[in-house]
Amino acid sequence: MTDAAPAAPASPSQRVSRVSDQDAAIAVTDLTKTYRTPFRRRKVEALRGVSFRVARGEIFGFLGPNGAGKTTTIRTLMSLIKPTGGTAQILGHLLPSRAARMRVGFLPEQPYFYDYLTVPELLDLAGRLFGIDRATRKKRADFLIDRVGLGRARNQNLKKFSKGMMQRAGLAQALMNDPDLVVLDEPMSGLDPIGRKEVRDLITELRDQGKTVFFSSHILTDVESVADRVAIVARGQIQTEGTPSELVATTTISVDITMRVAGLADDKVAALVARGPGKSRRVADELHVVLPADADVDAWLAAAYADGAKVVSVSPRHESLEDLFLRHIGSADSSAAAMEGRV
Amino acid sequence: MSNAAASKTTAAISPSAALGGGPLGSLGRVWAIALNTFREAARIRVLYGVVILVLMSNVLALVLGEMSIYEEQRVSRDVGLAGISIFGSLTAIFLGVFLLYGEVQRRTVHAIVSKPIQRWEFVVGKYVGMALVLTVLVGLFGAAMAAMVTYQGGGVTSALLKAVVLSWCEVLTVAASAIFFSSFSSPFLSGIFALAMFVIGRLTPDIAAATETAKSSWIRLVTKVTLEIVPDLHLYSVSGRTVDGDPVSVHGDFVSWGYVATSAGHGFLWIVGLMALAALLFSRRDFA
Repeated sequence: MTDAAPAAPASPSQRVSRVSDQDAAIAVTDLTKTYRTPFRRRKVEALRGVSFRVARGEIFGFLGPNGAGKTTTIRTLMSLIKPTGGTAQILGHLLPSRAARMRVGFLPEQPYFYDYLTVPELLDLAGRLFGIDRATRKKRADFLIDRVGLGRARNQNLKKFSKGMMQRAGLAQALMNDPDLVVLDEPMSGLDPIGRKEVRDLITELRDQGKTVFFSSHILTDVESVADRVAIVARGQIQTEGTPSELVATTTISVDITMRVAGLADDKVAALVARGPGKSRRVADELHVVLPADADVDAWLAAAYADGAKVVSVSPRHESLEDLFLRHIGSADSSAAAMEGRV
Repeated sequence: MSNAAASKTTAAISPSAALGGGPLGSLGRVWAIALNTFREAARIRVLYGVVILVLMSNVLALVLGEMSIYEEQRVSRDVGLAGISIFGSLTAIFLGVFLLYGEVQRRTVHAIVSKPIQRWEFVVGKYVGMALVLTVLVGLFGAAMAAMVTYQGGGVTSALLKAVVLSWCEVLTVAASAIFFSSFSSPFLSGIFALAMFVIGRLTPDIAAATETAKSSWIRLVTKVTLEIVPDLHLYSVSGRTVDGDPVSVHGDFVSWGYVATSAGHGFLWIVGLMALAALLFSRRDFA
């Protein structure tokens, strides 16, 4: 008999990568989209081989700066745009698929609706397109209008709606068919802090009801606070993908040290600062030092003790989603610049 | 937002159970778009201006009729029918050229075509909605003309009714051409194309006659091809002309119902063809 080492439990991302395209809520493979500019017919590569999987029942945040390819990817998933190459599946249906659209709710970016309609009329139109019968349409519309907090504005034309109210109306029409997959393009855009929290709560609630939520954003805190998994997209490519904890917790980028230097002569403090390769800042009797992750922290602390400093705190700083985001955006920009330089 | 209420209501109505394309399928979706288009068009104030203009032209016909010698009804009928044809067709062009282009420009199309509707259903729904609006307008114009003729002591003859039906067919055909152009070009260009189609379509016998006498073979070829690719709108405006060798007039002997049906069939085929092309072009578009 041999003692086989127990297999390490799979991480959430590993589990998702094992999900077949049929079982995934969204499966995108090598998606490309190239536009030609009018007149000059210059090629613009909006998507350059985007691939990712979204498992059923998870909240997936699609993060990227403006112009990264988020909206192009979403519009391709919603059959508004035909991809130049690659494939996409939604709930096991290869796109374009009307059957898939039956089970998807979609909130476009900066939604525009027929502004002469009231919210009940907008929802009735959406319900008709899903083939929902009249009684169900009415019940569902009444429920959703209350759910998104537009009860008082139900008789107003959308023309009179603020941006935030329009966003709520958009969310209501996206949920009219009680979808299995909800795709939201910048759902928090234009909302005040209370509205943003309500949308975050709604997204979590939809996940709790067993639905899959795929949403894009360029606002890190919105994604970090609700997403089970995240993909960062820049320059038309996925830069990284995983759970927020997988992506950020494993990397220590620096060690922050705070120490009291009261009573220490200035030359000793200067020697302390000079000893380390990191940055330092003195505030009154405290010295804050930031050492690189690969610095010999123990040796540095021993020397500081020997000089008479009192260490208040030593804390490793892990990479935040923002750091990760900026790192990937920066590397995407520099590699693209290198590519352009080569061309 | 009440979570308790949410869960309760969601569980109670379970709309998924009621889904599945609906009892009417494509027809239901086309009708949904048509109703919405009708609702949208009914809010266009220019249309009310057109209605007032047509009513005023009918009143003007009364005045002109008084100036004529025993030809009051003839003037009313001629002015009324011309109003239906010209104002109806211009309205069709005006509405049609903005119909699809406006949806794309305002991005209202994003929330619609991402739902389980086929693009052709959307195009046909837009056309049906516009056709409903134009039918109401033609009905109003026809009723105004009938009122004028009745006021002058005449009656609504079958000839007059046939002439109105023919004008209605013409307006619906022009509307289809406007939507067709709107599926791939801007409202300005679509307007020019549709207007050109209307004018050429109205002048088909004259263009055909000119073709026969043209010396240049190139001109003959171009005009022949043009006549083939433009709907023959002259079919719908035959009063005062000759049909099958017989002179016809809305004031006397007019065309038979058989002719009306045949012309309507001709228009229907053009409408189906233009809608099919518009749907094809629209379905190939990216909505970026």
